[in-house]
Amino acid sequence: MSELTFEDVTVRYGSGRREMTAVDRVHLTVPSGAVVGLVGESGSGKSTLARAAVGLTPVAGGRILLDGRPLPRGGRRPLQMVFQDPYSSLDPRMTIGSSIAEAIPRGAVPGAAARRDEVARLLDLVDLPADRAGCHPAELSGGQRQRVALARALAGRPDVVIADEITSALDVSIQGTVLNLVRDLHRELRLSMLFITHDLAVVRYVSDYIAVMYLGRIVEYGPAESVLADPRHPYTGELLAAARRGGPQAADTVPASVADAEPADPHHPPTGCRFHPRCPVGPLVHPDRTVCRDTAPTGDGRPHRAACHFVSSAADPAAA
Amino acid sequence: MTSRARWAGVLRTPVGAAAAVLLGAVLLLAVLAPLLWGGRADEVDTAHILAPASAEHWAGTDNLGRDIFFRVLVATRTSVRLALLATAVGVAVGLLLGTLPLLLGPRLGRLVTAAVNIAVAFPGLLLALSFAVIFGAGASGAVPAIGLAIAPAFARLTQTLAASVAGRDFVAAARIAGVGRVRVLLRHVLPNIAEPLLVNATMAAGGSLLAFAGLSFLGLGVQAPDYDWGRLLGEGLNGIYLNPAAALVPGVAVVLAGLAFNLVGEAAAKAVGPRTATAGGRKRATDDARPTPTPTPTPTTAVPVRPQQSAQADALLIVEDLKVSFGPVTPVRGVGFTLGRGEAVGIVGESGSGKSLTALAVAQLIERPGRIEARRLELLGDDLLRTPPRARPRLLGTSLAMVFQDPMTSFNPVQRVGRQLAEVAEQHLGHRRGPALARAVDRLRAVRIPGAARRARQFPHEFSGGMRQRAMIGMGLMGEPKLIIADEPTTALDVTVQRQVLALLADVRAADDVAVLLISHDLGVVEQVCDRVLVMYAGRIVEDLPVARLRDGARHPYTRALLGAVPDLATDRDQPLVVIPGRPADPAAPTPGCAFAPRCPLADDHCKRADPALIEDGSGGRVACWHAEQRPEPAPAAATEGEGR
Amino acid sequence: MAPPFSPAVVRADRVDRVALCGRTKTGRAAGGQDLITEPDDVTEAMPVTSTTASAPGFAHLLGNPWLRFAARRLGRLLVSVWVLVTGAFLMIHLIPGDPVRAALGNTAPVELVEARREALGLNDPLWQQYADYLRHLVGGDFGTSMLSGLPVSEVIGDRLPATAELAVLAFALAVLASIPLGLAMAVLTRGGRRKPVELAFTSGSVLLAVVPEFLVAVGLVYVFSVELGWAPVAMRQGPSSYVLPVLALAVGPASILARIVRVETLAVLQAEYIRTARAKRLPDRRVYLRHALPNALTATITVGGLLLGGMVAGTVLAENVFAWPGLGSTIVGSILAKDYPVVQGVVLVYGLGVLLVNLVVDVALALLDPRSTIRES
Repeated sequence: MSELTFEDVTVRYGSGRREMTAVDRVHLTVPSGAVVGLVGESGSGKSTLARAAVGLTPVAGGRILLDGRPLPRGGRRPLQMVFQDPYSSLDPRMTIGSSIAEAIPRGAVPGAAARRDEVARLLDLVDLPADRAGCHPAELSGGQRQRVALARALAGRPDVVIADEITSALDVSIQGTVLNLVRDLHRELRLSMLFITHDLAVVRYVSDYIAVMYLGRIVEYGPAESVLADPRHPYTGELLAAARRGGPQAADTVPASVADAEPADPHHPPTGCRFHPRCPVGPLVHPDRTVCRDTAPTGDGRPHRAACHFVSSAADPAAA
Repeated sequence: MTSRARWAGVLRTPVGAAAAVLLGAVLLLAVLAPLLWGGRADEVDTAHILAPASAEHWAGTDNLGRDIFFRVLVATRTSVRLALLATAVGVAVGLLLGTLPLLLGPRLGRLVTAAVNIAVAFPGLLLALSFAVIFGAGASGAVPAIGLAIAPAFARLTQTLAASVAGRDFVAAARIAGVGRVRVLLRHVLPNIAEPLLVNATMAAGGSLLAFAGLSFLGLGVQAPDYDWGRLLGEGLNGIYLNPAAALVPGVAVVLAGLAFNLVGEAAAKAVGPRTATAGGRKRATDDARPTPTPTPTPTTAVPVRPQQSAQADALLIVEDLKVSFGPVTPVRGVGFTLGRGEAVGIVGESGSGKSLTALAVAQLIERPGRIEARRLELLGDDLLRTPPRARPRLLGTSLAMVFQDPMTSFNPVQRVGRQLAEVAEQHLGHRRGPALARAVDRLRAVRIPGAARRARQFPHEFSGGMRQRAMIGMGLMGEPKLIIADEPTTALDVTVQRQVLALLADVRAADDVAVLLISHDLGVVEQVCDRVLVMYAGRIVEDLPVARLRDGARHPYTRALLGAVPDLATDRDQPLVVIPGRPADPAAPTPGCAFAPRCPLADDHCKRADPALIEDGSGGRVACWHAEQRPEPAPAAATEGEGR
Repeated sequence: MAPPFSPAVVRADRVDRVALCGRTKTGRAAGGQDLITEPDDVTEAMPVTSTTASAPGFAHLLGNPWLRFAARRLGRLLVSVWVLVTGAFLMIHLIPGDPVRAALGNTAPVELVEARREALGLNDPLWQQYADYLRHLVGGDFGTSMLSGLPVSEVIGDRLPATAELAVLAFALAVLASIPLGLAMAVLTRGGRRKPVELAFTSGSVLLAVVPEFLVAVGLVYVFSVELGWAPVAMRQGPSSYVLPVLALAVGPASILARIVRVETLAVLQAEYIRTARAKRLPDRRVYLRHALPNALTATITVGGLLLGGMVAGTVLAENVFAWPGLGSTIVGSILAKDYPVVQGVVLVYGLGVLLVNLVVDVALALLDPRSTIRES
């Protein structure tokens, strides 16, 4: 297993007036053998980052490195990806066995019989009986398909696996099986993994590190316990508050101007700190904090870092 | 269903069978007619020149006295052969142009796409005429002319189909796995678009048959002494006063043959369509139930559902023994609950549990072929099952507000938001246009939409998702709602926006003492807003309990499993999540006993035979379980395999 | 002759739209079991790929979406016209052999052919011929008929009004007849109601859609002129002579359009905003006319727009049945007589007519659907 590093990565879509910077100078490291949870809401650029890593989307700037070396262009990627929608990620015309076999690198397993055995081994790894290899996707449930997708990703002998919202299309009673499987695979195979989701509780369950993304930028990154116990960025705090289930909301304490602020349009991101139009510690509440409007904050080099001008006050608004 | 079975299914429909027989007859005639009647068709009979239809010559004779009826039969071969040739040319060129963008990559591909789009804008006939100029009049010129005229449309179809397949995740997965472009095209794209392309090629064959007849009719196609239907028709038209049959018989032949190809295509399209043309398409209004046509016996649930006796006096909504059925399938069976004034009740369940249908049934929004039955269904003391239909709009339109799941699709995209709100006041409160709009702006302000007056003049697509959902709540507030039914109101929203919408719902409820019926798959959402939770499984309420007791007082094994299956911020990271083995119950295949029994850790034989009634537990809750008093063993770690095997 | 070519066109657009729907909705699996979907990263998972249509560069300056739409649409029109003109020019030059020899026949003296070639400029280098052709077109000069020696522009000016009348009337009839019919059928047969009506309508419209104009025309002539003697068989003489040609031209497209209106209306009736309208307890009439119809129309125009362009070319066949003195009979005669300058001019006029209809369709769509001007097509 290897370390995946995003170095100053920028991804743009469209051109002219419709140009949109989906990922803006992102630095992120997936340490070897660790699961990094990437959280953010729609339009934050987290899926784009994933697609850029596996080569589905061209990178406009920066580098993506594996163990310090650039990813090979073309051919087999040492990264594999599992997609959100299990109904679209398997070819309905192919048996799941051939879908998995297709992902086995050429030359890695010579001979038809050996490939069959390899497919059986992979199916077993994701808790599916080997005789299911002849099934078509239509015969499987959503959770089973997602497991086949995982097996296909593993077939590619990846150094890093990227899981993009792999539970969000599943029914609640089935999400658990997939999450358990991800955890078990991680433990058994020491997989490096970038686990993308919008659900902080899910991320907390599987991740060693948590990265929080907002409008194309990583706003907070650190060890999972640390980020959850002591969120430095106000946006992380907001996500945590939203994820805290049960009981009445603590949100009533934030000013109405913050509570009702609209999420920003990714096509026209705000200047300076992108979170300032809805930040509870920013210029909306403290009019003197114009720096948030003008300058984009950068995180420092510490293991748990947050891109906020008023990091300390974010954790404890009273101190400001 | 395998593709062979689906194609065979085409033949079993009356239209499909008739079309196939017709097509078979046309093809048979094309082979046999020249062999059988070639001589008679060319037999010159100077004694009977331009004779009208008679017993001897069914369609009369032409200017050389040849029998027109036999000429029409014999012409089948030329007409069909040329049409098929032209189609082959068109399909081949179209397929090439259509798949080029995939092979060339985005930049060059865009160029090809643009060229095809321009060509498609010109009608086929115009293209065919232009090409006929180049290739010259005559059959050998008309074949490529018609072929090339068909090609752009076919290329466009191939492009759109291929692009939609290429955009799907399995193609992305193949690319990540290092599969090359040609291989992706051959292995993944073409097999998935082959059926609709075949269907369209069949129809295109019908089209080129008619087109060929047109060109020949104009004198640009088949030249004398050869003849096809179009040419016979053109000759016959000259003498239509003397012998109408000479024009009508070839005309009928053309129509029949064209129809044969087109109908076979249509019938096949219907069989192939659901998987290709409408895949990922429109969401059914009833997303909780997908009734399947397989006939199953109506479940005989003779279970007495005891209505809740408490708080009947100030009950706002009383539901007793509610059933919703679609044909033989009954996705909601025997649901009963009461909702007090200002009370917030949540309905929780997986997809297929019938929770959304219950909400729609209460709101009287079940459309045919769905049917509602209930022992009692009362809102504000009015019997919804028996209220005269004319009196109902006012009651439901002003006292009941609905909020739907997807704010993107629940507003009319071509009408301004303000008008959509104002409509309610115009319809039910007798407001005129101006005051109605003023009220709409006021209500938008009430749901905290900034710049309400400006926003009211905007279209829904100019709103963000959260704002649309707030506007939807505002629409409900146009009247004086006593009950808001919110069907998964936050599922489509981001977590932070979700919080805003839930807070707004809570505010509205507190301000006007409005009752809320909240449908959600997310126990966390229900916990935030509601006083009471109804847990539904397979069309029935399996547990009804106060929210305060949800975490530690749930008695139904399904409720407990639901709580454990979804991680929250307090879940132990070292323990596997609780797993509910098996699949969610299928409403089309009900079991005689407890519907949850096949997935339940406590289930015994009794559970599989008899469905437990929903009975009060004496402390304000209700539960339907034979083992409600029993607590299960802690979930074993090996349960992961449950769903898979 | 729209019908023979139209089914594939119609379907292509249909798929386009479906593909679009699929794109805006996040992974909602059709026929899937798991319907609880958290839509996320919709915009980013599906990158904006179609950038070709946008006018480059100067479009920045245009803030107004309508201006941008106009600029974009105008740009597309210009490109299409250029393609059309170039196509018409090349058409003559792609003809194998010597077109002048072909036109004048094998018996014509070499000197005459050579003189005619010189007069037509066919001996110049190709690029110069192209430049001359464009220059003449701008000046309204379409060339001279090889047979009659008349200017082509005069021939066209003579014949165009008759064709335009026919096309406009048929166009109006098709649109006006199909919308109420399709809407009424959708309302009557929604949710599987009245199966017999549905069957009658669908099979009837399939039949009418398959029969091409010239066969409809022949049938009409037989019934109304030959058998009943109500209408004149041919020629353009007085209002009654318009009835059959216009009918013949409009019946096919009208039945296809009515089918599309019905299908689209049924689809719209399934939409969630119709459920919202019902939840508002609006009267049915209002639901159908105010909420369903405008949306069904935009969908219909997207899908069926090309059909109306096809009617322009459909006049060729109808005119030939009714001996209508329009461009349609001219072009066929000219192709057979190999009078290429006339053919070239008439093809150009037809092409321009089609582009004009397409423009009208797009503008109508932009007016009806507030999203289309902003969402760059």
